[in-house]
Amino acid sequence: MRLRTLALSVTTALVLAACGGGGDPVDVGGGEGGGGGEGGTLVAAISGEPDQLDPQSTSAYASFQVLENVFDTLVEPGDDLQFEPALAEEWETSDDGLTWTFTLRDGVTWHDGSPFTAEDVVYSYNRIIDEELANSYRFESVEEVTAPDEQTVEIRVSRPTPNLLANIGAFKGTAIVQQANVEDGSIGQNPIGTGAFRFDSYSPGDSLRLTRNDDYWGGDVALDGVDFRFVSEPTVALTNLQGGQVHWTDNLPPQQAEQLMGGDDPTVEAVASNDYWYFAANQARPPFDDPRVRRALAFGIDREEITEAATFGLAAVNQTAIPEGSAFHFDYAPYERDVEQARSLLQEAGVSDLAIDFMVTNEYPETVTAAQVIQSQLQEIGVTVNIRTLDFAAWLDEQGQGNFDVFMLGWLGNIDPDDFYYAQHRTDASFNFQGYSNPDVDAALDEARSETDEDARRDLYEQAVTQIVDDASYVYLYNPQVVQGWSQDVEGYQVRADRAIRFRDVSLTS
Amino acid sequence: MGRFVLRRTTQAVVVLFGVSLIVFALVQLVPGDPVRVSLGTRFDPETYAALRERSGLDRPLLQQYLSYVGGALTGDLGVSFRTGQPVTTTLTDRLPATLSLAGCSLLVALLVAVPLGIVSALRSGSLSDHVATVVSQVGVSIPDFWMAILLILLFSGVFGVLPPSGYEPLLEDPVGWASHMVLPAVTVGVVSGAILTRFIRAAVLEQLGQDHVRTARARGIKESLVLRRHVLRNALIPVITVTGVQLASLLGGVIVVEVIFAWPGLGRLTLDAVNARDYPVLQGAVMLFAALFLLVNLLVDLLYAAVDPRIRYAK
Repeated sequence: MRLRTLALSVTTALVLAACGGGGDPVDVGGGEGGGGGEGGTLVAAISGEPDQLDPQSTSAYASFQVLENVFDTLVEPGDDLQFEPALAEEWETSDDGLTWTFTLRDGVTWHDGSPFTAEDVVYSYNRIIDEELANSYRFESVEEVTAPDEQTVEIRVSRPTPNLLANIGAFKGTAIVQQANVEDGSIGQNPIGTGAFRFDSYSPGDSLRLTRNDDYWGGDVALDGVDFRFVSEPTVALTNLQGGQVHWTDNLPPQQAEQLMGGDDPTVEAVASNDYWYFAANQARPPFDDPRVRRALAFGIDREEITEAATFGLAAVNQTAIPEGSAFHFDYAPYERDVEQARSLLQEAGVSDLAIDFMVTNEYPETVTAAQVIQSQLQEIGVTVNIRTLDFAAWLDEQGQGNFDVFMLGWLGNIDPDDFYYAQHRTDASFNFQGYSNPDVDAALDEARSETDEDARRDLYEQAVTQIVDDASYVYLYNPQVVQGWSQDVEGYQVRADRAIRFRDVSLTS
Repeated sequence: MGRFVLRRTTQAVVVLFGVSLIVFALVQLVPGDPVRVSLGTRFDPETYAALRERSGLDRPLLQQYLSYVGGALTGDLGVSFRTGQPVTTTLTDRLPATLSLAGCSLLVALLVAVPLGIVSALRSGSLSDHVATVVSQVGVSIPDFWMAILLILLFSGVFGVLPPSGYEPLLEDPVGWASHMVLPAVTVGVVSGAILTRFIRAAVLEQLGQDHVRTARARGIKESLVLRRHVLRNALIPVITVTGVQLASLLGGVIVVEVIFAWPGLGRLTLDAVNARDYPVLQGAVMLFAALFLLVNLLVDLLYAAVDPRIRYAK
């Protein structure tokens, strides 16, 4: 009896105090700590961990979330995604459209104090091109980058390139880096930029800290610093936000987003993004080489239902890639769910008992959910969908080898229409995994690439897109919203359609 | 004793060598290509070729393996594809967080299991025994990720007494370390404590039925002394074995919990390495887990001798 009592009370006491902590004050709300000055340190919870901090070499979104605040491009997308001056103050194009001249901002310094010059720009662009880094395809039309003087950069192109600004400024993958920082091999771990915040420290698996750049060319920065913490579980990130351990997160549980947007603490906002989700059929495999079969799939689905299920309503259905409200949005929606039409298209194509290997990835759970809805919808037109869920590495491998009937995925962060359509639908282009080829589309996309008159360019894209949609090269589904939340003491933060996370104009009130 | 340790160490090296071969072969067999993953959907053939060459993946497999083993012998486990950092430092950066979590979890497990197991064995068939059995049954059945979320929502969300996630190094901030440790350690500890409870109960019950215990009682020795000297001490041997196995499996089994609690340990690193097909880090992490497993087993064997004088190792 005595032993039992003792044992139980010891258990209770010790479990409660397990590994210490019992009775001691707990640093809940530790978010505010850290910053020495009055600006405070903003704590941001992001879902992934940067792989490395060299903006030109990484392709991880987590890296760009951090580096958006550390590096600059010559031009950058403003709030409306129109290009605005950044490291370049102004620019002009020659009459033949083959030479772009950028005048650089005066008095910009690197985080190590050395001056920023035109040679840095020349070095940065040549590095991307010569080392065939991930964004080298954006410089496909660039022939030469030169620095006539310290303030001026000239880019010569092989054909007029109306989307050059998007190519060099859409995101920090084409940021200007410092030659010394690259050549001593430290840029991946200790990057030196020109941005509003400088890299401070990194704690692997846990967090990364930036501190304010007092010499920032863009004016005063209010925050002392930003502490990025890597929290992959959305529920945990939300609990951190609600408990005051973090000030900001973009990793909210999608099923709770709508309810959270109704409250005022934390503030949760959603903004229509430029991303889009789609599925595509493998045209190297019969019967998907027949446009009638692909059109049958497009007629067989109900986009509203798919979108509601996959995104909890946080998206707008669209039958083209570019969202409503963008300059190049084109309102074309020929597909309304029509079971009869779909069945007769299949019959015309001589297809019966069609079974589809539908490849999705658990890296993006919405593709799995969407596939389940599509599965039940296509059953009604007599098509069996076999969903194959893979991890992303295996998924990419299968995609690259063409081992699929249909896959679903999204494209994120595009700005110029060329980014939306060219590499995806041009014959043999690098992202054309579905094997689409249509000479009319090729001609229109090629011409639109070098058309400098905006109206004429828009017409060309409308031609191309009409054909792409009619041929169902991609079956476009929806444009999702970007959902982010922050606590009440965060001021001046704005959710951006391109998912860039900028903290330079943010301040903390408490 | 010295020779025993030496023999076991030699065996461990052979085992590790075998592990390296298996791991190397396995990661190659798993579909997925690290270069494809690093490029994501924006696939460009020239960039792909350039990256493959830079990471040494275009070399023949045998050559890759030999250079890997050659490096490993000198403590160089290669360079991460993902981060460009040496694997050895990547692993040692993460080791303390995982070791401290596994250690604290084991402590929680023992604090739950030892009293519960002993009590339910002594009172076998009683209400408290049934309660303990049900509790441990539930503990074994609860998925750790579910329990983790539940604890976070309760203790961080509702009560607001503990931080929901994150880690503080022990030496820099002991209080912060402890407060961040409680929830993950309880999550892992309760599950493995439930398993241990059942073993301890069985071991104690078995000893209670032994002749020497009956004899001791017949001789009129005080019950507490019988328990301490004749029952518990003998029951320790199987318990040590299971505890060792539990500790070893904790080291590798904390992946899910580390991910949920944003814990900067080896588990999370391993998961990231799997997702990115970061072969060098993956190989290094598996080798490290294997080495830790062997080390724990060696310690368990040595503990036997300390606990039970009848066990002596070959001279």
